[in-house]
Amino acid sequence: MSRGGSFRPYAPIVVVALLLALLPAVVGGSPFYLRLLTQMLVFMALTVAFNLIFGHTRQLFLCLGALAGTGAYVSVVLTMRLGLSPVLTIPAGMAASAVVGALFSYASVRRGLGLMFVGIVTLAFSLTFENLVLGLRDLTHGETGLVTTGLGLPVMEHRFGAYYVLLAALVLALIGYEALVRSRVGLAFRALSDDDLTAALAGVDVARYKMLAAALGSALLGATGALYAYYNGFISPSIFSLTAIDVVVLVMLLFGGLATLLGPVIGGAVFTVVNELVRPLGSLNVLVYGALMILLFVFREPLVAALTRVGRRTAAGVSPRDLAAGRSPREKVV
Amino acid sequence: MTTSLIIDGLIYGLQLSLLAVGLTLIFGLGGVMNLAHGQFAVVAGITAALLMAAHVPVPLAAVLAILAAGLLGLIVDRSLMLAAYRRTGEQRLLFGLLMTLGLSFVIEGVLNYAFPETALSIEMPLPALDILGTTVRSASAVVALIAIVTLVALLVFLREAPLGQAIRCVIQSEVGAQLCGIDPSRLRTIIFVLGTLLAGLVGITQGLTASIDPNAGLQLTVFALIVATVGGVRSILGTMVAGLLLGIVHSFTSFYIGAYLTFIIFLVTAVATILVRPRGLLGNWT
Repeated sequence: MSRGGSFRPYAPIVVVALLLALLPAVVGGSPFYLRLLTQMLVFMALTVAFNLIFGHTRQLFLCLGALAGTGAYVSVVLTMRLGLSPVLTIPAGMAASAVVGALFSYASVRRGLGLMFVGIVTLAFSLTFENLVLGLRDLTHGETGLVTTGLGLPVMEHRFGAYYVLLAALVLALIGYEALVRSRVGLAFRALSDDDLTAALAGVDVARYKMLAAALGSALLGATGALYAYYNGFISPSIFSLTAIDVVVLVMLLFGGLATLLGPVIGGAVFTVVNELVRPLGSLNVLVYGALMILLFVFREPLVAALTRVGRRTAAGVSPRDLAAGRSPREKVV
Repeated sequence: MTTSLIIDGLIYGLQLSLLAVGLTLIFGLGGVMNLAHGQFAVVAGITAALLMAAHVPVPLAAVLAILAAGLLGLIVDRSLMLAAYRRTGEQRLLFGLLMTLGLSFVIEGVLNYAFPETALSIEMPLPALDILGTTVRSASAVVALIAIVTLVALLVFLREAPLGQAIRCVIQSEVGAQLCGIDPSRLRTIIFVLGTLLAGLVGITQGLTASIDPNAGLQLTVFALIVATVGGVRSILGTMVAGLLLGIVHSFTSFYIGAYLTFIIFLVTAVATILVRPRGLLGNWT
């Protein structure tokens, strides 16, 4: 098995990076489409993070928006209150999200039924975060939200600048993801996503690896949320709500394929288009995503099988030895 | 003040218990944690509000609305839940969580789209009562009475009735129950409908004590999930006790500090319970 040393596994990331880098030119710099594309990058990065947490270690985090919001609010509030540069506060936001994520992971993996408890606790955190932001009115201005322009990150206020910063973040996340999955840690992820008990018997510290995935994924969620905050120029609790973020990311990942490198990119691209199509439906778009979740999950197995076949064919030119070594049957991940 | 906060808390707690007991029963029998549970309460609440707007007498509207929630429960059980029950173990758990979360969004989307302005708030044309030196709204007293009668009836049913014993038997061991000639799939349907009827009842009692609108579902679901977690997801009595305790916590924190603290305390309590007493407050009692 070729691990490390080879750059060929990263070829798909280079292709994706080049394609995404050219997209602003394709749309001719139109502000409307550029905004759409920037949001697409944000959702792709969030989905990469969720893929790490759910796709690889089967922890159903239902607080993606809240964790992204934690990163955003911690960074913005620290910047505003202490006059620090966002360059310093964004890592602080990431750390805050990572700690929260790891905590939920810790609480649930220590006991059996982890899957269900993590779902319950994180869903509760979604509502807690929203109410906390509303409650700490002095710091967050509640529902009114905070204006984030002019806080010392001018590159995020330039529309091309923001696009390429977020693209860089996404590419870094994808590279980090691929490196992680190909490392010893990735082997542990693969073992424990097949079966917790078997992995533990084989000497994998299941709790530690689950917490690691949760912390890294949450840090990425926090970073993305914070970057988005400075790009958007405004944050409010509804931007990070369950219906605005979690449902969309869940559908993107279920559609794109769990535990795959390009699943989040494909799902993100497809559902950015879908999101635009359902926007005029108003509150009905929640219904569309709910129905999609049910349908995608019912028909997930045939869909993933089809995607894996396509993926194998494209990947075959990249690294046949890895495939021969059996890059984990993806259908079995969940 | 303290007495009236405790009474308010108990009344809210009784409703949380009703909601969470449904969750516990459904989970105990089917291994599915219903993330759409609060939405069934909202369905009943909105149905009652619509019926009352059409000049149906309040008691009849309430009964019809609860039945509507139960009917929706029956449909969901026969379609989505059936798909979940075909799987086993962790697969079923995950499938159930994602399915019911999707269902929750579907119901919320439909209600928000079709009846965005509808909310249930029932006025009780009775004078306030005097209990322990504090005035209690008659609506609250009625809610407390309904909830207590329902919970006691439920406990007696599970303890004494043959059907109730069969249900507890499946909760203890599905295989053991099958060996005794009990058909778990039929009981699952009965319990799912019963659980959604209880949720529907909470929709009505929420309309009596406060109000319920199309956006109330998620919060009800989350509170019920936390109560079920703290009480122990397989313990019915524990769930009832946890509901009362958290109801009192809710009324004190909301009054003295702010609603947001309730969420934090609930969340911390749930996490602490999972860490310290993963089987819940009362362990394995049924």
